[in-house]
Amino acid sequence: MWGFYFSELVRSLPFFIKGLWMTVAVSGLSLIMGTIIGFIWGIMRTSKNKVLRYLIGAWVDLIRGTPFLVQVFIVFFILPGIGIELEAFPAAVIALTNLAACFICEIVAGGILAVSSGQREAATASGLSAYQQLRYIILPQALRTILPPLVGQYVLLVKDSSVVSAIGVVDVTRVGWLTVQRIPEGIMVFGLVGILYFVICYPLINLSNTLERRMTVAATKL
Amino acid sequence: MISFKNVNKWFGDLHVLNNINLEVEKGEVMVVCGPSGSGKSTLIRCINRLEPIQEGEIIVDDMKVHDKKTNMTQIRAEIGFVFQQFNLYPHMTALENVTIAPVKVRKIRKTEAQELGKEILKRVGLGDKIQHHPAQLSGGQQQRVAIARGLCMRPKIMLFDEPTSALDPEMIGEVLDVMVDLAKEGMTMIVVTHEMGFAREVAKRVVFMDDGQIVEVAPPKEFFTNPKSERSKVFLNAIL
Repeated sequence: MWGFYFSELVRSLPFFIKGLWMTVAVSGLSLIMGTIIGFIWGIMRTSKNKVLRYLIGAWVDLIRGTPFLVQVFIVFFILPGIGIELEAFPAAVIALTNLAACFICEIVAGGILAVSSGQREAATASGLSAYQQLRYIILPQALRTILPPLVGQYVLLVKDSSVVSAIGVVDVTRVGWLTVQRIPEGIMVFGLVGILYFVICYPLINLSNTLERRMTVAATKL
Repeated sequence: MISFKNVNKWFGDLHVLNNINLEVEKGEVMVVCGPSGSGKSTLIRCINRLEPIQEGEIIVDDMKVHDKKTNMTQIRAEIGFVFQQFNLYPHMTALENVTIAPVKVRKIRKTEAQELGKEILKRVGLGDKIQHHPAQLSGGQQQRVAIARGLCMRPKIMLFDEPTSALDPEMIGEVLDVMVDLAKEGMTMIVVTHEMGFAREVAKRVVFMDDGQIVEVAPPKEFFTNPKSERSKVFLNAIL
C-alpha cells in the first residue's frame, strides 16, 4: 500500500506546488507590507509623541497577547458583521501583515533605542533635522541591530502563515489536510508539507545567521 | 555674542541652574570649572538648546534661544559642540563625519564639503586619517575629528564639554594644542574643563560654578592666585 500511496503523492505534487505558491504569496506579501508598516510603527514608537507611542504600544501588546488563529477568525468571520466582507486570501494577508508589523515594530524600536543617545545629541547639535538624524545617523546604526532578528522573525512568520489554512486559504498546510483524506499516510503527507516549509525557511535561517555574524564583526570594528 | 539673563533651570526638584547671568564677547575664550554636578555642562548645553531652560533669556548672536518659536537649526549651525565622549558617527569615515552637516544643513556641494573637510582634518593633524572609521582611531584622534566636525560648519562659536576628560593622559596634549590654536585664531569659545594650564594660557576669564550658581568670574591669573570665595579655594586646593 505504501508504494501506491507514494506514487499517488507524487502525482499530487503539482497540487502541493500550488499550495506552496500560495504560502509564498501570503507570507511574501505580508512580510513586505508588514516590514514597511513595522518600520513606520517602530519609528513612531520611539518618537516624542506620547499618544502615538501609547497607542502603538497598546496595539502591539494586544496582538502579541492573543493567538494568531483568533486574529485570523476575527478578520474573516467577525469583520463581515460590521460590513467588511473579505475573501479568504485578503483576510489572511491582512491578519498576517498586522502580526508581522507588530513583531517588526518591536524589533525596530529596540534597534533605534539601542543607538546611544550621544549620537542623537551630536546630530542635533550640528543642526540636522529630526528626519535627517533618523535617515543618516540613527537608522544606519540601528539596522545592524535590527537585521538579524528581523530575518529570524520572517522565518517565524512564514511558519505562522500555516494558520490561515483554517479559513480555507489553500496553502501548503491546507493541501496537506486535503491530501491526507485521499492518502491516509499522515507521516508521508505532512512530512512533505514540513519539507516544503523547510525549503523556504532554511535559506532565511542561513541569511539570519550570516547577518548576525557580519553584524557582530562590524560591531567589533566600530 | 552669548548672553544669559536670569536663567533658571530645574531637573525635577534639582535647581541645576540658579539665576545665571553671563556675557561672552565675540572672540572671547571662557573656561568654566567647578565640582561635578555644579551645572557647568548644563550651562553650555543650554546655549544650543540641547537642554531647554525654564526661566530667563539666552541670546546667541541676536537670536533668542529661550524662545520656543525660534528655529534652532540656524543657531545650531553656528555653534560647534564637542562632547566628552566624542560622539562620532561610528558608521562613517572621519571625512564623512565632518562633511555630513555641511552638506545636509548648510547645503553646500559634496565635493566642496570634502575639500573643506580634508583641509580642516589636515589642520587638526589628521590629514592621513580621512578614510578611517572612528574605531580605528585613538581617543585623542577621535576627539580631534570631533573638533574638525564642528569647525567644518564654519561656526561662530565653539563649545567644549570636558573635551579631555575621557582621554588617556598622553592624548590630552594633542587635543589641547588644537584648542589653543583655535583660541589664538580668535574663535569664541566656552570650555568646560579642569585643565588649568589651558585656562592660564588662553582664557580671558574663568567662571567657577558650584551648586548651579556662578560663584566667581575672574581672569585666570587672579582666579588661580587669589580666589575670592571660600568654595573656589576649596575647589582649587582639591584639583591643583
